[in-house]
Amino acid sequence: MSPSTRVATRSDLLKLLCEAAELEHGIACSYLYAAFSLKRDISEGGMTWEEQQKVRRWAAQIYFVASQEMLHLALVWNLTTAIGGTPYYLRPNFPQDATYYPLKVPLKLEPFGTRSLRRFIQYEHPETTPIEAEVRELLERAREDEEEFSFSSIGELYGLIRSGFERIDGKELFIGAPTQQMTPEFVHFPDLVAVRDRTSALRAIEEITEQGEGRKGHRENSHFVAFVTMLKELLESRATGSGFSPARPAMNNPSAGAGHGYTANPNPIGNPLAGRVAGLFDSVYSLMLRMLAWSFEFDSVGAEAQLKKFCSVAIDLMPRVLLPLGEGLMLMPAGEKYPGKTAGPGFGLTRHVMLPPHAENAETLCRERIQELAAITGELLKQPLPDPAKAGCRHLQVIARTF
Amino acid sequence: MSPGKNDFDVVIVGAGVAGAMVAYRLAKAGARVVMLEAGIRNPPRPQIAGAYAVAVIKSPHSAYVQTEADAKAPSPDSAADYEQTSIEPDKQYKSGYERRTGGSTWHWLGHTPRMLRSDFEMRSRYGGGKDFPPAIVDWPITYDDLEPWYCDAEREMGVAGSDEEWNNLFDSPRSKPFPMSMIWPSYSDMWIADKINGKKFEGVEYRVRSTPSARNSSLYDGRPPCAGNSICVPVCPIGAKYDGYVHVKKAVDAGAALWEQCAVNGIDKDADGSVHTVRFLTYGNVPRKVSGDIVVIAANAIETPKLLLIAKLANRSGQVGCNLMDHLSKSTYGLAPEKLFPFRGPPSTSGIESFRDGAFRSKWAGFRVSLNNDGWSRKSSPQAQIIQLVTEKKLIGVELQAELFESVTRQVRLSCSVEVAPDRNNKVELSNNTDGLKIPKPKLTFSPSDYSLRGLAHATKTLRDIFRRIDATSIIDPNDADPKAFDGAGHIMGTCRMGKDPSQSVVDSQCRSHDHRNLFIVGSSVFPTAGSPNPTLTLAALALRAAEDIGKQLGIKKQRQTKP
Repeated sequence: MSPSTRVATRSDLLKLLCEAAELEHGIACSYLYAAFSLKRDISEGGMTWEEQQKVRRWAAQIYFVASQEMLHLALVWNLTTAIGGTPYYLRPNFPQDATYYPLKVPLKLEPFGTRSLRRFIQYEHPETTPIEAEVRELLERAREDEEEFSFSSIGELYGLIRSGFERIDGKELFIGAPTQQMTPEFVHFPDLVAVRDRTSALRAIEEITEQGEGRKGHRENSHFVAFVTMLKELLESRATGSGFSPARPAMNNPSAGAGHGYTANPNPIGNPLAGRVAGLFDSVYSLMLRMLAWSFEFDSVGAEAQLKKFCSVAIDLMPRVLLPLGEGLMLMPAGEKYPGKTAGPGFGLTRHVMLPPHAENAETLCRERIQELAAITGELLKQPLPDPAKAGCRHLQVIARTF
Repeated sequence: MSPGKNDFDVVIVGAGVAGAMVAYRLAKAGARVVMLEAGIRNPPRPQIAGAYAVAVIKSPHSAYVQTEADAKAPSPDSAADYEQTSIEPDKQYKSGYERRTGGSTWHWLGHTPRMLRSDFEMRSRYGGGKDFPPAIVDWPITYDDLEPWYCDAEREMGVAGSDEEWNNLFDSPRSKPFPMSMIWPSYSDMWIADKINGKKFEGVEYRVRSTPSARNSSLYDGRPPCAGNSICVPVCPIGAKYDGYVHVKKAVDAGAALWEQCAVNGIDKDADGSVHTVRFLTYGNVPRKVSGDIVVIAANAIETPKLLLIAKLANRSGQVGCNLMDHLSKSTYGLAPEKLFPFRGPPSTSGIESFRDGAFRSKWAGFRVSLNNDGWSRKSSPQAQIIQLVTEKKLIGVELQAELFESVTRQVRLSCSVEVAPDRNNKVELSNNTDGLKIPKPKLTFSPSDYSLRGLAHATKTLRDIFRRIDATSIIDPNDADPKAFDGAGHIMGTCRMGKDPSQSVVDSQCRSHDHRNLFIVGSSVFPTAGSPNPTLTLAALALRAAEDIGKQLGIKKQRQTKP
């Protein structure tokens, strides 16, 4: 869809919101993959103590930006349910080339480096502003052997969504129940806006675009500038010739194994143990998404406790299970086919049913599934896993016990 | 500004948060400004964190040790580093400060609650009774006078907070939202809140609130969001927490000069009572001087009166150095009945404000309660706790690991911060001892009033009550050993009090000396009373307000000032 296309109907808007949800979701995974790849300890080699501090700062910033992408996904879901839709949590598996979205930038899982940072800068580039000479020069300096990007932006997509909310009659548009809206009372996103009318819808969109691109004349606090600064610092550090190597040698676009590609064209992990950990990661990730989507879909009236529990467990799973499993995978060998490379999580969306509307049944399904996954960790913990992966497994056992 | 007979339009003594904000505002408006800083510029943050990591004794200053600067511009770190009138621990001043470019905010916690409306009107509201200390006065300004400047200071520093929780606290409204949404409360905060919110102690209802902090909850002012490094004290390794160096840099970028390692040892008074020439010593002991149309003293509440006493300035009232204040701090420790997982995120993210005001303040001091995320680390280091388990409980290997996981994850520290009443006898004087540049050191006299000690007693009872309500065990209450014992809060205040009456106060409501119309004093030294909030936001708001008046006095056109 081109920027000139008119967004005139509820259906147009829902389709664009699905596209936005997919993108926010996919981009968050891509950021997380880069953050997982950043080294933590000096014993991993390739960095001094001072450089380690810089690397930890980069990791913290990427994790933060990824968390704001998750907030954006939550805001998009609130926008969607406000106009009568249901939260869309699916997305194509990695990798997707530049032709998949009008964005014209590929979606990939790559470790931290100039290639991934170039891509991140292009995701977050302001809607209408041409690339400044300095950033253009920076992207040029960071160029390696890779495909040419046709530059577009997420801001442009939100411009279209904004135009739809401005154009379509609000009385007809906002048919979702106000009590369906998720607020910080239920889910720990302090900046989550409840969308109940045009004003709040526009505020939600403004929050997303401001965090991504920044305000005109005030870009210094945006994701865009954060990534530009990171790329500058990386190039400067490399120029010193100190042999600085901040990232683990993670493979690109992994999948838990052959048959886990779901029509994308990933690189199956060859090491059997890493493949099992990656499979566990995907299953926990899918369950977490289904719990969140359920919470955003149904009316909170009468289900407050359930919503709070699902949101709390889903958010708990991210730092306590997914993060250590993701980092752990990047310390495990990828397999003979990828010499010198380590594995990584594929963020594969495993095939499963949506959680049912009936709250008790939904909880039963989740409880059974989380206990099944915890049982898998029992087997995995008997194997020689890296410390972060062990921690992720143990945390999952605790969460399953108390669910 | 056009060049005049003086070297600069404004000479500012001290490059901490107050001095740097004034320098920034005036330089931005076109004034020629110089900041004189006695200390040195700190090394890069990772180096500071590294120095702390290898320090044998961990204290805020241990991250900043530098032999020459510590000799020539000493940074007291504890009671032992001062010359004090009393040797009794309960009658000593405990809080230190940092003489470095950027000042003590390098190792502050970053909390920025405002003062309450009543804090400015203590005598009118609660005075008159026999239990009310005579030196507690009303401020010459009201909460409403300062409110726009609070908003301005919050924007400059980048404060994260919850409007919903803080608007209209004790009739103290906010006219603008916080620049950033709150730092999310820790799991421990939420768990404790769930147990005590709505319950009452001594007729006052508990309500846990997130504490406003000059700590980024999102990207702000080109600085990153807090990444939970948990070592705000002694340094934020990534610059997510605000410190005075942010505005030092902004001031320099706006054209202000910064002269470091320049220890001021005199200010000359002209025949007409004005002051222009500031004398200082370099670290090489070379005497130098610089002049300005206006002189601003922006050292802290111990260094500022020290300098005024050396220069024999601004003391018609005899109040310079008097009314030295802090907050009385005390911690109580316990083990929660379940794992709360401390040691994550900033050391404290929530508190209880309910006891800051009420009719009781006619009889005893108000206080804040802080919920902390740093386990028992204030009591003893994690290493010491391990050694104790090994030597006393004879635990090793898997058993030691299990015990640590069981107990460390349940550690809770609650603390209080109690208002100290001003008292003329609590004071800063000049010592006969001198520092490495032969400049007199300060000599301190400090003894908390019965009013404050009664507040401390109520505060510690409150901490015990909270522990009871959460079913905590293994409670360690320092009150059991000595009810009058207290720690310093690092909130050095008073000593150059603001007031309307030149015979009773040092500066007027604009922070201008009653005695010298081109001498301004900014910082927490001008506070007539302390209230119970951490003082930095209030001193920043007062400094920004003073900057506007200094600008007017300089003849800077109004439209060139940055309005809040």
